Amino acid sequence: MTGLAYADLVAAATVGLSHRPLQITALSGAADEHAGLIDPGDQAAALLDAAALLVTARRAGMRPVTGLASSPAADHDAAPELSATAADLLRGPGPALLADLLALAAEHGYRAPAPLLPFLLDAAARDRGLITAVAGVLGARGRWLAGHRPDWQRVAGAVPAGVLPPGDPAVWETGGRGERRSYLAGLRERDPAAARELLAAGWSRETGEDRAGLLAMLARRLSPDDEEFLEAALDDRKASVRAEAAVLLGRLPGSAFTRRAAGRAAPLLRIERHAARPRLVASLPGIDEAGVRDGLSRGPLLFTQIIATAPLAVWVTELGMSAAELTALPVAGDLAVMVRAGWRQAAIREAEPAWAQSLLAAGWPGPVRARPPGTWPRDHELAAVLPPDARAERAASLLRAGMTNADAVAEVAGCPAPWPGPLAGAVVAALRGAVAAAARSDAAAVRPARAAQVVPAPVPAAARQAPAAQAVPGPAPAQPPVWSSAAPARPGWPAELAAAAGLRLPVAGPADYAAALAELAATDNCPPNWASALRRAADAISVRRAFLKEIR
Amino acid sequence: MTDVVARWTTENVLALAPDASSQRAAAGLARPAPWSGTGAAGELVWGLCAGSGQQPYQAIADLTGPAYKCSCPSRKFPCKHVLALLLVWAQGGVRETGEPPDYARAWQQARTAAAAGRGAAADQGGTEPAEGVPGVAKITSEQKRAAAARRSQQRAGRVAAGVAELQMWLRDQVMAGVSGSAGRFGHTEAIAARMVDAQAGGLAGVLRRMSVIPATGDGWPARLLSEYAQLHLLTRAHERLDALPDGLATVVRSRIGYPTGRDEVLATPQVTDRWQVLGVRDLPDAPIPARRIWLRGRVNRRFALLLSFAPGGYFGANPDAALAPGTELHADLHYYPAPPPVRAVIGTRHGSPARGSRPDQPGDLAALVAAWAAALELDPWLTEWPALLAGTPAKDRGRWYLADLSGAAVPLLGQDCLWPLLAVSGGHPVTVAGEWSPAGLLPLTVWHGDRAVPL
Repeated sequence: MTGLAYADLVAAATVGLSHRPLQITALSGAADEHAGLIDPGDQAAALLDAAALLVTARRAGMRPVTGLASSPAADHDAAPELSATAADLLRGPGPALLADLLALAAEHGYRAPAPLLPFLLDAAARDRGLITAVAGVLGARGRWLAGHRPDWQRVAGAVPAGVLPPGDPAVWETGGRGERRSYLAGLRERDPAAARELLAAGWSRETGEDRAGLLAMLARRLSPDDEEFLEAALDDRKASVRAEAAVLLGRLPGSAFTRRAAGRAAPLLRIERHAARPRLVASLPGIDEAGVRDGLSRGPLLFTQIIATAPLAVWVTELGMSAAELTALPVAGDLAVMVRAGWRQAAIREAEPAWAQSLLAAGWPGPVRARPPGTWPRDHELAAVLPPDARAERAASLLRAGMTNADAVAEVAGCPAPWPGPLAGAVVAALRGAVAAAARSDAAAVRPARAAQVVPAPVPAAARQAPAAQAVPGPAPAQPPVWSSAAPARPGWPAELAAAAGLRLPVAGPADYAAALAELAATDNCPPNWASALRRAADAISVRRAFLKEIR
Repeated sequence: MTDVVARWTTENVLALAPDASSQRAAAGLARPAPWSGTGAAGELVWGLCAGSGQQPYQAIADLTGPAYKCSCPSRKFPCKHVLALLLVWAQGGVRETGEPPDYARAWQQARTAAAAGRGAAADQGGTEPAEGVPGVAKITSEQKRAAAARRSQQRAGRVAAGVAELQMWLRDQVMAGVSGSAGRFGHTEAIAARMVDAQAGGLAGVLRRMSVIPATGDGWPARLLSEYAQLHLLTRAHERLDALPDGLATVVRSRIGYPTGRDEVLATPQVTDRWQVLGVRDLPDAPIPARRIWLRGRVNRRFALLLSFAPGGYFGANPDAALAPGTELHADLHYYPAPPPVRAVIGTRHGSPARGSRPDQPGDLAALVAAWAAALELDPWLTEWPALLAGTPAKDRGRWYLADLSGAAVPLLGQDCLWPLLAVSGGHPVTVAGEWSPAGLLPLTVWHGDRAVPL
């Protein structure tokens, strides 16, 4: 007969010995050796003593298990790990600086140290904005680790396609939506035609949402070879697929799609001269089935849409004037906003710096205090098309002119790091001016006063020579109005500008911007939220400097 | 050497508390903020504690008694102010100032006079004590010893009564059925409070910890019975304390809650080595937040445990609680007298903590379970044991294990610690330090090259 097991004792103790008496004579296992010590005359004590024997035997007798399933280890990664010092620097900063530092590390060929990987993967799983940056430093170890957690796999899936080893073709057949997209992106990077053919082969079996998402993967390495496939996608049942196809076709300069767009746009604008003063006259368009197929919509936006989808070159050819001249022309009726909104969209799509420059200089043609419509791309979006030098120069001149509205601050903040000396100087000067003004008197009283002092943006020569005639009803201002200069200064702009400065001011070179910003933060009467933004910016610069030292 | 009284441990102080709520209240006051004018001279410790009134309370303790006095209206004795004062002092937060302030001196003189009076009264066969004569008052060491013996006898009596009561309570539980009696959360609170009254703080702590077991899901009666059985074993052992071998008797006394003074520990032979900090585990949810720091001698390869308490929730000025994994300290360690030798205090330091290398010669699981079984033989109530292993984290049927180089494996405990461990390992063997218990291994530190990564 085998002795009592622990489970038997538990069963008795659960209901209680008064309900279920238990005679204990023998115990199971090693504990039985001492079962003779148990006093059968006292049931409760006997149960507790027997339990103590069994529990102690089990605790002391714990044995490891054997024969575990083995799983593959991470591949060796030849890329060096970031130093421990650099890794420590990565734990402090907010997402923007973290992304910058990680991008820098990836650029220098480093990967994240293994102990930091869970922290980075967690950060990227929480904040989509970090996914690309984190994916760039994962290395073989990070990708292996991410494979153990579903929420991390999304991060690892975003690894830049060039870095990915050729994916497993089975993923295309059986993988999830994200996995299939990144598989296609990887293939597209290596062999654009093969990727397109793979997509075309199973096209009719994909759901509408999958078709749109997968089609967007063709944006990489787009070429005229893709035209036929994209043209066919314009007839898709799903609107988002048609829209994606139109976007991609618009990026193929010689395509039939662009030729159709140019053909529709050309008749809309002509130049008329009154007393030798040229102006643009627009005729309102109609729309046919082919236009609808190309993604145009009936309604008030149609005019702007047609201008926006046409290649900009068509205007220079058709109207016989340069971009600078055309953008400075007045427009008959009140159509100037619609014409220039279309051109702005086209300049951004084509990344056409000459047009962008001229359109920025021409500015906002609408009523001074009116808000631009949603179709009107903001100055900073347009400025992003400029060559870096010109962009920085323009941003610096905005600050020097005292412009601190939302668009101006966004333009400055958008300039890539490191900011060249003149822009860096203008930023520090603008911050110093704001802090000094705030220190002189109550900060709240100062900000509106500065807004009233704003000076219009520099107007290019072409615009100055052009007549000041306006399509705007009512009294025309003395100077061509530039919307961005008329917008009020953005409250709290110094804190916003400081945040950008922390990420973009140069860390190498003779000037110590960290010290300059820290000094501003320490100024008497510096408003507390500005001071903390300035201190954070100074810290960010110090962190970037220290990090750069670690990876060089 | 000055004749400064050897500092007590936090546990020593907490053992003086009349009940659990006093412990908690004192822990809350054991921070620098409410205190001013603290000082110590010889056996006397004093300080002013800001309370709700305008005047701060005057708290005084005489460590020889110990005897206490506080100007607060509390009827608890000692009150939370005195306990808090002693907690601050036990952690080195009170400086030796030499000259007591008037209120402390007055109290001490009054006590001395009263003691002299009692002594005289005893000598004179019960006549009225003479008025205290200033200057005469000095308790002889003879009297002190006698008083100490009387107190320890009193305590032993109280503990024995408490232990007997606990035994009855445990028997009642299994007679009535644990499913009914333990159905309510906190069913152990009353008996735990009773153990505090009986000055059996160790038993009270165990009872409090087990009060949550009925809320831990399936199979809780088995877990609860396991705790009851081990407590019962402890009460059984206490019954025949005098018959036990010395080592086991020490274990039993310490588990019951007889405090071990720091001076008693420092009196054990020192073990000198370069002590590598293997891992740190914070226990923030314990009744008094605590920290375990596991050490291993670089040369003698012995393990040691430093246990620190932070009544106020922060470890503040205690240098022993500040040791970080991956550092090493050249120092004398003194093991507590209770076997197996693992808990220790730092005696003389021969240098400052410095960055150390990866500990060499990690063990395997066969050696670990053998050491654990041997340790249980010395102290069957042990709950955890230090481990330094070479192994690889591995997943099997949805569960994570640490597999050593021979392929033997034990379950890994903890959630957040798994991911950095896995990241550093990458599926390859690594050196891991942790706490072993029959449930599995809780990893605390993994070495990435020579760098210790706390988990």
